[in-house]
Amino acid sequence: MNRSRRNLLLGAVQGAGLLMLSGCEKAFNSLQQNKKFLSLLESAEGANQRLQRLLTGKNKLAQEFTEQDISRYFKPNGNPPPITMEYIADAKNNWQAWRLEIAGLVKQPAQFSLSELRSMPSRTQITRHDCVEGWSAIAKWKGVPLTEIMQRVQPGSEAKYVVFHCMDTDDSGAHYYESIDFRDANHPQTILAYEMNDRAVPVEHGAPLRLRIETQLGYKHAKYIRRIEFVASYEKIAAGKGGYWEDQGYEWYAGI
Amino acid sequence: MEKLVYRHNRITRTTHWVNALALVILVMSGFQIFNAHPHLYWGSTSEPDQAFLSIAAANDGGEVRGFFRIYGWQLDTTGVLGVQNTEMGPAPRAFPSWLTIPGYFWLAGGRRWHFFFAWIFALNGVLYLIYNIANGHLRKFLLTPKDTARVPAMVLYYFRIRKKSPQEGEYNPLQKMAYTSVFLFLTPLIMLSGMAMSPQLDAAFHWLPAMFGGRQSARSIHFILTFLFVGFTFGHVFMVLATGILNNMRSIVTGWYKETGSDVPEPAWLQDSKEEMIQKPSGVPLSHQLLVPELEEIPPAQETHQNHTDAPQPDNGISKSPPNDVQISPESSKQTSPTHNNEVKKDIVE
Repeated sequence: MNRSRRNLLLGAVQGAGLLMLSGCEKAFNSLQQNKKFLSLLESAEGANQRLQRLLTGKNKLAQEFTEQDISRYFKPNGNPPPITMEYIADAKNNWQAWRLEIAGLVKQPAQFSLSELRSMPSRTQITRHDCVEGWSAIAKWKGVPLTEIMQRVQPGSEAKYVVFHCMDTDDSGAHYYESIDFRDANHPQTILAYEMNDRAVPVEHGAPLRLRIETQLGYKHAKYIRRIEFVASYEKIAAGKGGYWEDQGYEWYAGI
Repeated sequence: MEKLVYRHNRITRTTHWVNALALVILVMSGFQIFNAHPHLYWGSTSEPDQAFLSIAAANDGGEVRGFFRIYGWQLDTTGVLGVQNTEMGPAPRAFPSWLTIPGYFWLAGGRRWHFFFAWIFALNGVLYLIYNIANGHLRKFLLTPKDTARVPAMVLYYFRIRKKSPQEGEYNPLQKMAYTSVFLFLTPLIMLSGMAMSPQLDAAFHWLPAMFGGRQSARSIHFILTFLFVGFTFGHVFMVLATGILNNMRSIVTGWYKETGSDVPEPAWLQDSKEEMIQKPSGVPLSHQLLVPELEEIPPAQETHQNHTDAPQPDNGISKSPPNDVQISPESSKQTSPTHNNEVKKDIVE
């Protein structure tokens, strides 16, 4: 075969390959935009949730580490800290004016100050934080178990989810929020943390109060909590998927 | 002399293609997920300065350069890895968009594809496994200690240093080694290391991340095993190309494989075991099916050479125990092939 013919042939093969690749890319991307196909892909979430919860049983404790294992660096991810006048003033004032509101389907709506939360029974755990991006960091967290709060406010029988409304916002001003169900809310390691590594939770990690839910990925661990709401359904909140990242396509079940 | 044999039945062909599709999507959506944090670590956590592998971008005097770094050894990979040249200019991106699903940066979408096709991969694998255990096919390609001893001889044969293939049964020792390591080692490990990244599973099974040395180790191993899978696939595709792409493709698409009579015939017991595999083809019109068995019996091999490299072995588990290293003279080989037609389809009910 002479050179020009070989080059032509090589070019044709290369062109076909590129065409195939870009065709694939286009096909994948258009599939990605197809609502029916997307909901087919999303069906894996329910399967994962059911199977994982079946396999793991309730209240299995995530591994707890030692002081030596604590990470030197813990990436403060997500939105920047809130910059409202109220938040800045509260932070300056050592959170004395800040209150945690508990509302929704509860028999005893309540407000708790940080010192009230600190006086409740607490749990301290050195656990691994797994971000959906792929990284992990270990820190020591101290806080009040969510069950302590639930005992005080007594959620009604219609309540199915616990929604955490946060003070941080994204560029567009949308507030961060998250929701968990009662199975995870009742987990002994699910705490409202006010201390990280023996100090008050730093601003970049969600001061004054953040959620720790050790069986789930990082985006479930709502920071800068202002209000906790017990609801029967989260469909009416924001875009209705149960969380800030969920509204953008991430799984509500973040156990994987 | 040629004849068509029915080599792959419908379940084998279907699971093969489902598996191929699932693997491609798992790898490409896996790259999408990797791009969200393109660094690998050993242990439980990811201290930024402890990454042993990074595919990232760095600002080099005002210019964004992509690099691949492993244990301090660094390679500029701008345009391919780390930084991709797009219409909008250079974009920091570990794996280029044409290698990821979706083809733009969207971690949530990558996860959706990955987890859906992980189910497809697993269920398809279970179906394949059950079917091949049930029909006894699995033991034909599982590596036995005897096969292990023959691996070097097979390598020599491939490099044409050794004239005779040490193959016994339908798969040669190297094939068996490849398939067995994919089944018993690669597949379970890539599934377990994937699961070891799940905080929910880790909470219940502390041994899961521990068996890999921590969650970040599991993530790294998951990534490395991916490339063993990719390597296996390239090897597999190479062998498909090297041994006749059209014939191989026909057999994995339609089931029918054309066997060509060769100078060195297959031993009689191998012929027999292949014919056992031939099943009644459902899709072939009656007119193409021969009702009378056409193959003549192969006369039992007379000449047996005891090969000095292989120790005599007892029965290896294949039902018909073959003589060691049978050689049939070219004369007898002519009898093995039917002389009156080119296509012989056997009508044997399974």
